[in-house]
Parts: sequence; C-alpha cells; structure tokens
Amino acid sequence: MTRSAEQLPTVPENYEQVQPAAKPNLGLLYATAGASAAGGFASDAAARALPALRKSPLGKVLPASLLNRGGDRLRAALEVPKIAHVVEGLTVDAEWHEKFCRVVHATPRPLVPGSSETAVFSGALHSLAFPVAMSVLTRQDFPLPVMGMVHLTNSVQHVMNVAVGEELTATAWTENLRTHRAGTVVDAVVTLTRNDGTVVWAGRSGYLAKGQTAAIAGEGARTSEEEWTDSSLTVPFNAPQQTAQWSLKADTGREYAGVSGDYNPIHLSGPSAKALGMKGAIAHGMYTASRALAATGVPSEVPFSWSVEFAAPVLLPATVAVSVHDDGRREHWNGSRVIAWNPKRNKPHLELVVKPL
Amino acid sequence: MDNIQQNAQQSLRRAVVVAGNRIPFARAGGAHANASNQDMLTAAIDGLVARAGISGERLGAVAGGAVLKHSRDFNLTREAVLGSALDPATPAFDIQMACATGMETVSTISNKIRVGQIEAGIAGGVDSASDAPIAVSEGLRRALLQLQRAKTPTQKLKALKNLRPNDLVPAAPTTGEPRTGLSMGEHQALTTQQWGVSREDQDQIAASSHQNLAAAYDRGFFDDLVTPFKGVSKDNNMRADSTVEKLSTLNPVFGKKLSGEATMTAGNSTPLTDGASAVLITSEDWASEHHLTPMAEVVDSEAAAVDFVSGNEGLLMAPAYAVPRLLARQGLTLQDMDLIEIHEAFASTVLAIMAAWESEEFCRDRLGLSEPVGTVDRSKLNVNGSSLAAGHPFAATGGRIVASTAKELAARAKAEGRPQTALISVCAAGGQGVAMILRSV
Repeated sequence: MTRSAEQLPTVPENYEQVQPAAKPNLGLLYATAGASAAGGFASDAAARALPALRKSPLGKVLPASLLNRGGDRLRAALEVPKIAHVVEGLTVDAEWHEKFCRVVHATPRPLVPGSSETAVFSGALHSLAFPVAMSVLTRQDFPLPVMGMVHLTNSVQHVMNVAVGEELTATAWTENLRTHRAGTVVDAVVTLTRNDGTVVWAGRSGYLAKGQTAAIAGEGARTSEEEWTDSSLTVPFNAPQQTAQWSLKADTGREYAGVSGDYNPIHLSGPSAKALGMKGAIAHGMYTASRALAATGVPSEVPFSWSVEFAAPVLLPATVAVSVHDDGRREHWNGSRVIAWNPKRNKPHLELVVKPL
Repeated sequence: MDNIQQNAQQSLRRAVVVAGNRIPFARAGGAHANASNQDMLTAAIDGLVARAGISGERLGAVAGGAVLKHSRDFNLTREAVLGSALDPATPAFDIQMACATGMETVSTISNKIRVGQIEAGIAGGVDSASDAPIAVSEGLRRALLQLQRAKTPTQKLKALKNLRPNDLVPAAPTTGEPRTGLSMGEHQALTTQQWGVSREDQDQIAASSHQNLAAAYDRGFFDDLVTPFKGVSKDNNMRADSTVEKLSTLNPVFGKKLSGEATMTAGNSTPLTDGASAVLITSEDWASEHHLTPMAEVVDSEAAAVDFVSGNEGLLMAPAYAVPRLLARQGLTLQDMDLIEIHEAFASTVLAIMAAWESEEFCRDRLGLSEPVGTVDRSKLNVNGSSLAAGHPFAATGGRIVASTAKELAARAKAEGRPQTALISVCAAGGQGVAMILRSV
C-alpha cells in the first residue's frame, strides 16, 4: 500500500505564508499563554503559583482572545487565521537528539543500514516542529485559548528519514476548526521539508478547547465525534494482554520538558498543574506517544505513519500498563499497535497505531 | 555427516563432577549482609579446595560470575582465585547469563575438559542482594564523566551546572526487565495466569521444597556439600515446618493488578538471597590421579531463549524449549530421567513449565512435536529441595543444583545398582534458560 504525495497535507491555497519575525521560543510562548491564564481567568491559586508569569511584560501584549476568557461561550463566529508560518534552517542537533532518545527510551538508528549518519527519531521531529505550530496557535488572531487546550489526537506521516544535522523548513498552520461535544477542535498541521521542497515529515495534531462552543465560520465546520468512535479505547475499557510497564517518576514531565522545550506548567509540578485546573502534573502526551512509538518494531528504513489517540491523562507519578503488538517483524512488518492504560482504575491513556506508508 | 559427528562425539572425553561446595544461602540483609561477592566466592572455592584436597593445585580454569556486580568486580573470579588456596597460576574468567550463570559456567568448564583443553576446573557463581551495587543516577553519572573530561574551570562548572537535586538520588538495582519495565514477578504473574496455575499447587511446590530440603539436612546429605560461613551452617530461609495450610494464609504480592485471582505470594516466590557455590569438574584421568571419586558425568547442555518482549512467550518459559531439544539430541525422553531438577524461581514457573510439557497444543504449536513431552513424576522432582527453600543467590544456583544432583545420582546408582540420569532446568532473566543432563558414573 502506497500513499501518494497528494495525501500529505499542504498549505491551503487561500493561506498567506509568512516568516515569523524571530524563531519561535516555546518558553516565551508559554509565558504569554500562561500569563493570560493567570491574569485573565484562572483562580487566585494560579496567580499565586505563577507570579513570574503574571508579572511578565509579555502579559501586556497578550492576544485579546487569550485574555477574554471570562465567558464560557465565544460570541462571535470563529475562524482560524489564514496564515501559515514558515521557519527555515531548522536542524536537529546531535547531542540534543541523543538526550531526547534517552528520555523517551528510543534507540537511535543509522539513516540507512551501514550509514554513519543517524536518522532522527520521528518523535523528535515532532519536537522540532512543535514551536512553529505553537507560534500559530498563540497568534493574536487565533480564536481559541491555548492554555488548557487538550491534545486529543496526533497523526504523523514519516515519509523519509531525516539525518541529524540536516537542514529543514517547517511550515505550520491551523485548519479544520470543528465542534466537538466537549468544545471546539482545531487541527495544527506542520510539514517538514528539505531544501529541494520534498516533504519528509508531516504531523497533524487535534486540540480541543474545552467548553468553547460557538458558531464556526465557513463551510468546513462539522462535528468530530468520529475521533472517539473508531478506536480500541472503548467504554468499558477491555485491557489487552500487558507486555510492559512504564514506571513514571514525578519528574517525568520536567525531564521531557527539558528535551522537548514544552514547558507547559501542567506537566512541570503539582502546584503549577493545579493552578491550571489539573489534578496534578500530567505526563506530556507526546512523551507517552514517543515512548510507545519507540517500543514498536517499526523497521528503520520503512516509511510509516503513526497516529495516536489520547484518552485519560497520565497523572504523575504513575505506573502505566502497556501492551505492544507488532504485526510481523523486519521485512515482514505490517504495522504495530500500542495501548497504554492505568491498571488500577482500568482506564486507557492512549492508543498508538503505526502502519507502513 | 553422521560419521563426522559420531567421530567428533567419540573423540570427546568425559567431564565428571567430583565435588561440590557452597556456603549456606542467607536471606538478603541478614547473615551475609556485610560479605562481598568476592568474600563469598572465595569462601566457596576454598571450601571446595579443602574438601577435594587440591590445595596449591594449578587448575586449567575457574569460571564464575555474579548477576549483581560492582564495576570494581570486573575480574571477580580471578580475584577470588588469587585469594584462595589454589595455585595463583590458575586462570579464571567471569560469565554472566543472569540466573543461568552457574549452569553456563558448568557447561563451559565441562566442554573445555571434553575437548581436551583442560584437565580440571571449577565452575561456580555468587550473588549478593545485600551488598548490591548502588549506582549514581544517570544525570549525576553523566555530569561526573563530563567533569572528568573537563580541562578548564569553566568546563568543569558547565559539567556541574546541569545537575538537579533529583540526580543525587542513587539508582538501586531492580529485578525489572530492561525492555519491558515489568519485574520478574509481574512477568511470571502473566504466565501464571496464562497457564491457570492454582494457588494450592504453588503452595504445594513450596511446602515440598522446604520439607525436602529440611529432610536432606537431617540425614546429613549436605555435610559434604555445604561449608559454614559467618556463623551460618544451614540455609536460613528454610522452614522445616512449612505446610500448604500455613502458606495459604499469605497475601499475594504479584499479579494483583491482573484480572483474576492473584496467587503468587512471598511463600511461593524465591526471596532475595546471598550465597556462593562451586563445583569441581575434571577428566576421569585427573580424578583418579588425585584419588577423587567421580559422582556424575556432565553429559550435555542446551540453552534456549524466548521472545517475551512481545508477550509471545512467558519470561521464564525458555526451559520448556531447551529441555525437549536437549532430550531429542540425546535420544532420551522425560520418562528416562531418574531425577528432575526444575529451578524454583517461583513455584508457578515449575508448574507452568510442567504444564507446557503436558500440553498437546503447546508441544505441537511451539515445539513442533507430534506428541506432548510428557508428565513429570513428582516423586522425582527437586527431591532435596530447591530455590524456594534454599533461596536463590542468582549466579550461585546452578552450582548448588549441579553438585546436589551429582551426589544424589551417585548415591542412587550405588543403591540401585544401575546408572541414573538427571535433568536440570534453570530459567533466567532476559527470557533465557539452560537445561543439562547429568549421568551417574
């Protein structure tokens, strides 16, 4: 089964492609979004927990949409900015890549068998692309509040291996705004291209803005119940046979933040997460997704797609039961499936499906 | 081809077990808590050397090993030899195959003798769960290594800059499988569930282990197999008065998160233990020159490994594969065995392996056999007790089983006036296992 290039996401024709003034910096983006949360709508606890953010000068230049979170409903019709951010000259640093792989238990593989170059782990490419996606999500004209958004799904087409040190261009945009029974969902799409224009990697993340319901402008609006139906994460959850266990320590979120640059306070500590309405610090969805992907037997030289659906968040520290199933090995590999769940409460955390492209 | 193989077989010499010695096994954190691996292995070798009267002898090789090993123990066995009564000109090397380490040392020394490379050697192993290496955290380790490479003060500061308070927490060894993150007990709980092994059967195996070991001590069986160490003369995990009823009161410790009843308790799982063992294996000529009486021949051994990572097979099920292959190679069946030793990592390991051999489906689909391997006669199983009672200092277990089995074979052959054959099966971490056949001489 081969997938034609048409099925790779492309920037919609009516979108304007712009280069952000500076390279997106996640720390600043979160400071922006966090300050809005602390200053705009969250509890006093948030204000106490995030004094630095509240005092941040960035809070003064917040997008209006982030600050205006008092109401449960957005009154105006929603529309995503018809803008794609393009950032050139991104590279994966060798030392960073090794660290990333260590944290998510991935084994670095050669670019092709026998090559002295290292192929970048697909989960690390997501981290490379993520700040560019965030730069779109935190634009002033982006209609949904970023802080507290829930990462529902993530699907990646890993078209070809990228070498550590190779120069790439990231293009990110948002599209497919749609209603969901719990709010509004939007897709953040990022493609990574070589200098010759070849798309090597494309990722699509579905984010839910909880409680945000409003009319959606344009024709593309639709409901997205389908994301919950076609999956193994059914209710009641039928746990598969366990093959592995992840013992996640309390600092797992800080550790992954250290390599991914994703310092979202909901992952860093109990107080910072509680300030944002979580029960405690939760593991990054992409950390669990990367660990799940690293546990599969996907052969390093095969183009593949992986998609992950997140259910209950992993409250840290945690003992996570895992089932890894590979359909065939090496040249006979035909796909993999990983399910991770909370064995005590029998609640699913995620399902990852990997297929050859 | 057949001829060449036969000739090769014929040109091999016999390797015979002439003596064995171990120190009593002690529960971790107890009697041997302050003894190092080297202390215990040296004591086991010295006891063996004294018993066999080979003080000052230069042996062809000593093979030993430990599963939990300090980095300073890189030449553990050689250091033990240097501290022993053996000729310091005796070479030594370390082997590590998790809980099958001791079995692999026996196999290796025997093979060296069989092909004529050496005349005599010692195989053994040691483990201390008390004196276990504590490693610094990954963060601290990397920072210290970077610090060591740093030349300028700035580089040194940079190396320490990334340290976090959490990095100062040491990393203790665990029994977790690196690839799955599941402890050995949790892995075995999956196998226990898969084979539907009952709590009562497990407790029965455990009670028999304690009762058999105690009876063997009572009749003096271990008098020439065990040397007292640090004031301990018997395995201190042993409970002579153990019964199924008493064991049935214990709470389960593994498999509690699985659906179905959790059946694995501290009573039917082996405890962490400290101890060491050593076995003297020689050619028949060397034995007679040194006025030593061979107890049993090491006939053959077979290692197997299974894919437990995918969940395709249980972590400790490799012996279920190794044994049928070994029997087939030797033209033997389970029914030809007079003694069967199945290492009791957990009572349910023994029961699951035996159930597999009885299962038509398993033997057909997994082993490619037209008939089941067969049923183990319980009266031949672990007759002098096994790891549930004695304890299981990982690398020392193989030497314990080989020495005891060789002695039992010799005694039975003498009593019954016919040769006796024994099968030994030891499972190991990493989905591995080693099977061995011993025969009286």
